[in-house]
Amino acid sequence: MTKYALDFSATPDNLPIIRHFVQEHLAPHVSDPVRRNQLTVAVEELCANSIIHGNHSDPAQKLRLELRIQGQQLHIYLYDPAPPYALHKYPMPPQLLRKDTNRPGGLGIYLIRQLMDKIIVRRRGEKSIYHLVKNLT
Amino acid sequence: MEMQLTLSPAADALTVTLAGELDSLSAPKLYDQLSQTLKQHPAIKKITFDCQNLSYISSAGAGILLLSLDNFGHRGVDFELRHVRPEVYNILDLLGLTKVMSVSND
Repeated sequence: MTKYALDFSATPDNLPIIRHFVQEHLAPHVSDPVRRNQLTVAVEELCANSIIHGNHSDPAQKLRLELRIQGQQLHIYLYDPAPPYALHKYPMPPQLLRKDTNRPGGLGIYLIRQLMDKIIVRRRGEKSIYHLVKNLT
Repeated sequence: MEMQLTLSPAADALTVTLAGELDSLSAPKLYDQLSQTLKQHPAIKKITFDCQNLSYISSAGAGILLLSLDNFGHRGVDFELRHVRPEVYNILDLLGLTKVMSVSND
């Protein structure tokens, strides 16, 4: 197994760092740029939701992202101090513009669910754990 | 890479050149500059986004394009995204934007 880890604080300023981390470490494992971009987008959307909605962009909150390549599978783990949200239960497909706010809503979660093969959300100790799986074959 | 944004209004058309990454940090800047330019140039009826150097788009970036289409489309403004890279096109297509606005790699 190959493992890459990134610790970061819950501020949106870290989103470019997160996606460049993903792009850099997936490059040797995923040659197709469209596919590599899809995985980068899925990870960024996951982290953005936790940073902005779960932790209210509070830089005192610390998160950890892990990418693990096991055989032909990519496992993405996000360890988050905020309570878990039901990522796998949001309605699909999203409303492009939400009727209540007249603004786009749910697009990021929709992308995560479209792009990943499996999503597991659980709480262990003081961390929520988001575990996303993608077959690389 | 931070997003670089150039707006070139001319008569009833506006060309917006996007370069870099359109995400939750840069998307509000795009919306603000579009709003400001359309206020200063009310005759604009078509906005063409040149995406040749747009390397990345997140849901926040796609969302701001949708919001712009909804808000400015009511004023009769037409939207077109050109020279869109395959990575960016794929995300726009997954979100359904290719069904509500013209998106091409031409």
